[in-house]
Amino acid sequence: MTIAVVAGLLAILPFVGAAPFTITLLTEGLIFAIWAMSLDILVGYTGLVTFGHAAAFGLGSYAAGFFAREVTTDFFVTLLFAEVVVIAVAVTIGFVVTRVSGIAFAIISLCIAQVLFQIAVAWRDVTEGMDGLVGVPLPKMFGVTINAGTELYLLTVVTLAAVCIGLRRLVESPFGRTLQAIRTNEDRAAAVGINVRLNKWLAFIISWAVAGVGGTLMVFLKAGTTPMSLHWTESGNVLVMTIFGGLGTLFGPVIGAISFVFLRDEFTTRFEAWQLAFGFVFVVVVLAFPTGLAGIIARVWRSLWPVRS
Amino acid sequence: MNFFFVSVLNGVVYGCFLLLTSLGLSLVFGLGRVVNFAHGALYALGGYALIVGMHGAGAGYWPALILAPLLVVPVAILIERVAIFPIRHRPEIYTLLVTFGISFMIVGAIEYAFGTGTTLLPPPAPFVTTVDIFGNQYPVYRLLAAVVSLFVSAGVFAVILFTPVGLRIRAVTDDPGMAEALGVNTKWLLTLVFGCAAGLAAFAGALGAPIFAVHPEMGTNILLDSFLAVILGGLGNLAGSVIGAFVVALAKSIGGGYVTDWSIAVLFLVVAIALIFRPTGVFGRGRVA
Repeated sequence: MTIAVVAGLLAILPFVGAAPFTITLLTEGLIFAIWAMSLDILVGYTGLVTFGHAAAFGLGSYAAGFFAREVTTDFFVTLLFAEVVVIAVAVTIGFVVTRVSGIAFAIISLCIAQVLFQIAVAWRDVTEGMDGLVGVPLPKMFGVTINAGTELYLLTVVTLAAVCIGLRRLVESPFGRTLQAIRTNEDRAAAVGINVRLNKWLAFIISWAVAGVGGTLMVFLKAGTTPMSLHWTESGNVLVMTIFGGLGTLFGPVIGAISFVFLRDEFTTRFEAWQLAFGFVFVVVVLAFPTGLAGIIARVWRSLWPVRS
Repeated sequence: MNFFFVSVLNGVVYGCFLLLTSLGLSLVFGLGRVVNFAHGALYALGGYALIVGMHGAGAGYWPALILAPLLVVPVAILIERVAIFPIRHRPEIYTLLVTFGISFMIVGAIEYAFGTGTTLLPPPAPFVTTVDIFGNQYPVYRLLAAVVSLFVSAGVFAVILFTPVGLRIRAVTDDPGMAEALGVNTKWLLTLVFGCAAGLAAFAGALGAPIFAVHPEMGTNILLDSFLAVILGGLGNLAGSVIGAFVVALAKSIGGGYVTDWSIAVLFLVVAIALIFRPTGVFGRGRVA
């Protein structure tokens, strides 16, 4: 219900005088929000910190961009193709990386993402090397072209709402509870009969599949992609957005991603030290507010309207 | 044949150089279980400290090279006290997140103060020339940097193996609780080691400046290569890191000479597979899992 209202409010923004530039920026923020939510499933709900989540997003971008240029620009078919590729890779990678947890998981996922990055640089026939895929055409839906700007924005809002509803149901399902049990204590979860490995694997695949949706939208927004979308510093960025917004909340990462995009825009235009400021805010959040923006908002909310018991 | 020879030589030189950054990374993890993602940024800071020393203070290359780590160590100690010490009781993964944020800050501060440009420094006066090795012209400064790196790394091993401080470092690495019970000040020791590791990284950044040039993102690749080396050797295992550093450096320079970009993809794949099946490192017993 809340999701529908928020999505509705977002959807009318272009019609109440929001500038085209703001809409483009917001589209980017909402796509990042999908990506950050997918990361939240892994990091916030399952407790697997990954430093290679750019792989899922970038792979989705490359698959969708390649398909749209070579075969058809139909949005649903392109998305389907990108998802098949992303899920196939996630099934394979997830099967091996879910053997480990903690730091080993973080570093292995980083290594694997760098493998994809290097492949994107080296496999010039398909990826066009360091130049990246350029000139990806606009998507079509039921034969009608989705134009850049408002139409692509609305498509993003609808997709985000669908992902939100899906993931909300997922984390409240028994499967979601199982993931949270694994996050809390892997050994104890195993002791009560949870198949830890299988559930981590499923969480990994779902997380990648959702990130692939974001990647598909992004390749259409930017009309292309470069190997830098797979670089490990991008993985760091999405981790920053998610933690900044608030782990394990789903709506936190959405706030985190949107504020990331707008803060970056503000900082880079007003003064040069955007990385310095953002790094500082991030360190303070990790040190002092482990629950992120969502946690701060919740705390303020509760102090304004205390729950009487 | 000549091409192959030069690739091997480059690999060995880079391996010696990588020792400086890998040892610090490994030490800090072994001692305090801190995964330091700011190591690359501290390396870059060393390069800029050299520039400050040479262009700002007008010092010669060698005094500036000594000065660079001395400028970076206090910064590192401050970082350890303010940001890493308070989270040492939280899961290790938090150290990775905090240091990642700190590397953002350091790189941002560098860009703010010095801009995003690349600074090329010529090697110091008598070492600008090349030397003839089996018919190949090779820059003298690279050989010199490799030898200096080896000496400094040997010094690190000497300190750890033969001094009272080294004894304490080994004790805490083995069993922090027991070491503390026996009166070792682990808190102080971790600060010291973090500072020294950052000093080593900064020294590497300054020493490598005439070879690799100085720019704000110069630490990114070094951080990854050092991590690969340290993981191959087993995180926290110093002797393993030495082997790891040379394996990574040789694989990059020999592979990079023949099959270009694919070699690095293979290298990462090998490390990932190695870590999955031997989470404690390929060449020794580390402490990841």
